[in-house]
Amino acid sequence: MDARQVEDLLDAQCALLGLRLAPEHRPGVIRYLQLAIDMAPRVMDFPLEPSDEPANVFVPVAPRSAGQEGA
Amino acid sequence: MRAIERVEDALARIAATDARVNAFTDVLAERAHARALAVDAQGRGGALAGIPFAVKNLFDLEGLPTLAGSKIERESAPARRDAVLVRRLEAAGAVCVGALNMDEYAYGFTTENSHVGATRNPHDLARLAGGSSGGSAAAVAAGQVPLALGSDTNGSIRVPASLCGVFGLKPTFGRLPRTGTYPFVASLDHLGPFARSVAGLAAAYDAMQGPDAGDPAQVARLIEPTVPGLDRGTDGLRLGVLGGWFRRMALPAASAAVERCAQALGIERVVDWPEVERARTAAFLITNAEGAALHLPDLRCRAHDFEPLSRDRFLAGALLPAAWIVQAQRVRHWFARQVAASFETVDVVLAPATPCTAPPIGTEWIELDGQRLPARPSLGLLTQPVSCIGLPVVSVPLWGLDLAQPHLPIGVQVIAAPWREDLCLRVARVLEAQGVVQAPVARLDDRRILDE
Repeated sequence: MDARQVEDLLDAQCALLGLRLAPEHRPGVIRYLQLAIDMAPRVMDFPLEPSDEPANVFVPVAPRSAGQEGA
Repeated sequence: MRAIERVEDALARIAATDARVNAFTDVLAERAHARALAVDAQGRGGALAGIPFAVKNLFDLEGLPTLAGSKIERESAPARRDAVLVRRLEAAGAVCVGALNMDEYAYGFTTENSHVGATRNPHDLARLAGGSSGGSAAAVAAGQVPLALGSDTNGSIRVPASLCGVFGLKPTFGRLPRTGTYPFVASLDHLGPFARSVAGLAAAYDAMQGPDAGDPAQVARLIEPTVPGLDRGTDGLRLGVLGGWFRRMALPAASAAVERCAQALGIERVVDWPEVERARTAAFLITNAEGAALHLPDLRCRAHDFEPLSRDRFLAGALLPAAWIVQAQRVRHWFARQVAASFETVDVVLAPATPCTAPPIGTEWIELDGQRLPARPSLGLLTQPVSCIGLPVVSVPLWGLDLAQPHLPIGVQVIAAPWREDLCLRVARVLEAQGVVQAPVARLDDRRILDE
């Protein structure tokens, strides 16, 4: 992405999220966004199999009154 | 020694030194006195009886707002009860004397907190204490307390332990309950102790184990005490040092520290983990996005109240595509499986904890592997790939290896497979018994700050 595209991304995402950046924060945010953009290919370009599941695993939450049996 | 005497000594040392170190954000003298008298009245025994300790100020302490290093949380309601780990240490007879400085919302490796000032390294007051649990490491190094608690998401126990020259334990992800602490990145947050001895770490760790329903990431495990086996030595253990990324991103002092430990332990084997840099990138992206999402409401309406060093990173993290984060979590799991396979043939591996000894406060850049890199995030380059997959680590302190700054310590990570904290502690204990690693109390020499 060139610098203009990064700025466009920033503006579009901020509008979507309701973030109004102060002018003095904008250069720093762009710098860190560019850093993440530069790093992302290291994970996005890595070939994985469909069986490579994410590391975060949801643990179902049972009601307090539920016993072990039948859970 | 009675608990009340230990607590009085700690409070006196804090009063005498904290204007220079700036480790504490709250000192709880009245509470500590009452608890110490109660411990003495009960005639408690045990390794932790009457031991003063303090906690990073993201741990709930009854009656105090849980600041997590921020200005914003000063407005939050006081905690109604102590964090689970604080309660467990006090149930074992330890006495909490206060709360400690940190990077805002734990997003940093330096504890250059602009709201309350930087915590200074007790071994050289012009230098960084490390972070984000900088107050915890500095308080132990300064002799203010013999025990402190911190958190570690990407290195926030091991980095300050390395720079301040104390022992630190980051247990396996999911081992200790985080109930009653302010989160940073729930996918990666760990809690653990700092101490001036391996036995101190082990005693605190054992007292804090056990299930708590309040932390959904805690894994159901039996309590596995480490103190009884602490002196079993290294006989039968297969030991190695990590190569590749862990050598490339280390300056000479850090490499020398690993080499000294390897020599002491008779290690010749080099172990290479695959795709370490990708794992570090995965942790970086997950941290950036998940941390930002947590603070999005405040980022929308009061970004000016955030710490300038982390505000722009949080704002940028809110903008990352979801696909990057899901893929980062997949890479993380892939990496965990590769490293697990590597632990089929080795029990414990060593790596530097930080690329260098403590830089001066305010350092912006360091050079590593022929690259000019931003100093603050780079302090975690060697810890981040390890916590990314939740491995247990003890950081052990060595001295005299930075030839230009021989008064500064540097840490080595002693790393084992998940749930084998006992092996990390056993190896650390051997190094300590040989005199290779130690955590002396800082002299707190003012001249170094005056010279700057």
